[in-house]
Amino acid sequence: MFKKILVANRGEIALRVIRTCQEMGIACVAVYSDADRKALHTLCADQAIYLGVSEPAKSYLDIEKIIATAKNADADAIHPGYGFLSENAGLARRCEQEGLVFIGPPSRVIQDLGDKTIARKIMRDGGVPIIPGMGCAESLLEILTDEAGRIGYPVLVKAAAGGGGKGMRVVHEENELADACRQAAGEAAAAFGNGEIYLEKYLKRSRHIEFQILADSLGNIVHLLERECSIQRRHQKVIEETPSTVVTPDLRTAMGQSAVDAARASGYVNAGTVEFLLDEDGKYYFLEVNTRLQVEHPITEMITGIDIVQQQIRIAAGEPLGFTQADVKGRGHAIECRIYGEDPENGFMPSPGKITYLQEPSGPGIRNDCGIYSGFDVPVEYDPILSKLIVWAADRNHAIARMKNALSKYVILGIKTPVAFLMDVLASEPFQEGKTYTDFITTHFEGWRQKTDEADLAVLAYIIDEIARPRSPQAHITGTTGPATPWQTIGNWRL
Amino acid sequence: MDYRLRIDNTDFPVEVEVNEDLQLNVMIGEKKYIVDYTVISDFCIHMAVDNGIRSGNINAFTAYGAYGKNVVINGRSYMVQDIDSLAQAVRKGRQPNLPNEITPPMPAVVVSIPVSIGDLVNKGQAVIVVSAMKMETTLCAPFDGTVVRINAGINDKVVPGQILVEIEKDG
Repeated sequence: MFKKILVANRGEIALRVIRTCQEMGIACVAVYSDADRKALHTLCADQAIYLGVSEPAKSYLDIEKIIATAKNADADAIHPGYGFLSENAGLARRCEQEGLVFIGPPSRVIQDLGDKTIARKIMRDGGVPIIPGMGCAESLLEILTDEAGRIGYPVLVKAAAGGGGKGMRVVHEENELADACRQAAGEAAAAFGNGEIYLEKYLKRSRHIEFQILADSLGNIVHLLERECSIQRRHQKVIEETPSTVVTPDLRTAMGQSAVDAARASGYVNAGTVEFLLDEDGKYYFLEVNTRLQVEHPITEMITGIDIVQQQIRIAAGEPLGFTQADVKGRGHAIECRIYGEDPENGFMPSPGKITYLQEPSGPGIRNDCGIYSGFDVPVEYDPILSKLIVWAADRNHAIARMKNALSKYVILGIKTPVAFLMDVLASEPFQEGKTYTDFITTHFEGWRQKTDEADLAVLAYIIDEIARPRSPQAHITGTTGPATPWQTIGNWRL
Repeated sequence: MDYRLRIDNTDFPVEVEVNEDLQLNVMIGEKKYIVDYTVISDFCIHMAVDNGIRSGNINAFTAYGAYGKNVVINGRSYMVQDIDSLAQAVRKGRQPNLPNEITPPMPAVVVSIPVSIGDLVNKGQAVIVVSAMKMETTLCAPFDGTVVRINAGINDKVVPGQILVEIEKDG
């Protein structure tokens, strides 16, 4: 087993990995940029090493810096978390060359599955159902137009190197195709350095269902059941749950087998996620493989009792899986809400800034993977995820009730968060009935505004705060830099 | 004591009477409230509210922010502003809340500035692009005019209220 692991990430996911390392008795090294000198992962690891300026390209995305830091620190392995370099075949390859273990699949697998057209070919050859569409990328508009006609509108323009919704356009009619292709290619070139696009059939009213897989280096592959992640904004997941309300035992067996087939066809090793779209007729299609730990992995951990990060580390160290498919049993229901620093009343715009006060929910069946604390300044440079709130309960209704209650106890002062929005989504009829399609938010919550029926209570709290703790009017307006001094917070007293 | 408070474009005229120690009689508009309170910490207030219709215990969390007082109750977050001190702030030149200014909507980093001093720009034309938390926002010219000043450089950290590009109106 490894003696020391470098965690090449930041925020809540770095902390998540650090926790398991510490439980396994493995020393862990955090890396940090200027903006993260006081970040929780920097403070909580056994050792923290400075990488560089805040700009990601010069810190968390700098492969050579990460490699050199790992070697200097005498680490045996690198865990990339999610985002940043986690799906970068270059980092995996450099690890292979330098005798470091990359905790993830081999570089060749990352490269193959990272190109969507190659991934589609591997899956088709491996007997995994794929969405009808093109077999390779294309730039000529005449050919794209012909292909779109053959596939049938609506079609989806996708970036071959895509991810996170970038370089994607839905096209309903032929006259929109040229513009959509040009925009998607431009966006893909800017985001991934690769402007290649192709077309797929666009599936209306579909659900996003994914299967967690684990594959060891000896060829043993299991899946850890499904996750439904249909509640999305800007093609990014917001709420995930397991089990899905529409996956029957038979469908679960079939999709799970396809996920295992997908892993086998691509020569997969380590933890990964096979994503599918499920249409209204119960037919499912391969979407992509995420060759890394997913943000939403905790819901699977909650129902299976398996620590996925620990499995990743064991597999990377060459150990065999200690269990078989028959041992994997889901128990109860788990839901995750992603708490981003963003404003749901304003198009989910980012809301970085200082957390003046934080109170996390707790209680039976509640887990909060959190990367912030009172006084922490949420940097503008990185992904807006602050924490992942996860609940487990015996069934879906109890899980929803538990999540709603946990959200209502979650206090984050200083920046905007979607807590109230998430409460309304969970309380809504379509969510409670399990009518969760990928267009859920645009269909039911476009232009959402917070309810104001308790605004009078906020007025009362304001008044009491003024009377009990008067501050200088100056501080009211400009109290954004640094913590309040005792002279601001001591309140009203007489000598 | 009287207050004029605003939450999200709704104004609340408030009259407060200190009834006894740690108890207030409050009129919000026409509605009467009797409130017993305990200050729990710098950020937390416990209230027992009775207004005839609704009564119960409430935990409220408060902190000052850039735009007013942030209050969180039962998972919902409110920005409560004092209309009088707001007016004062604008008079003193803080927080220019004018739509004609080119200022970022949130703390951000400047990504590109596609205009130069002296350029003629049309209303709606992109003049500066900022990025926050991996999301880019393009700020556009609010009217036709000429770029007279650029107050930020690429990779600069900028905050709301800071005027990034100044444009002189045509005519």
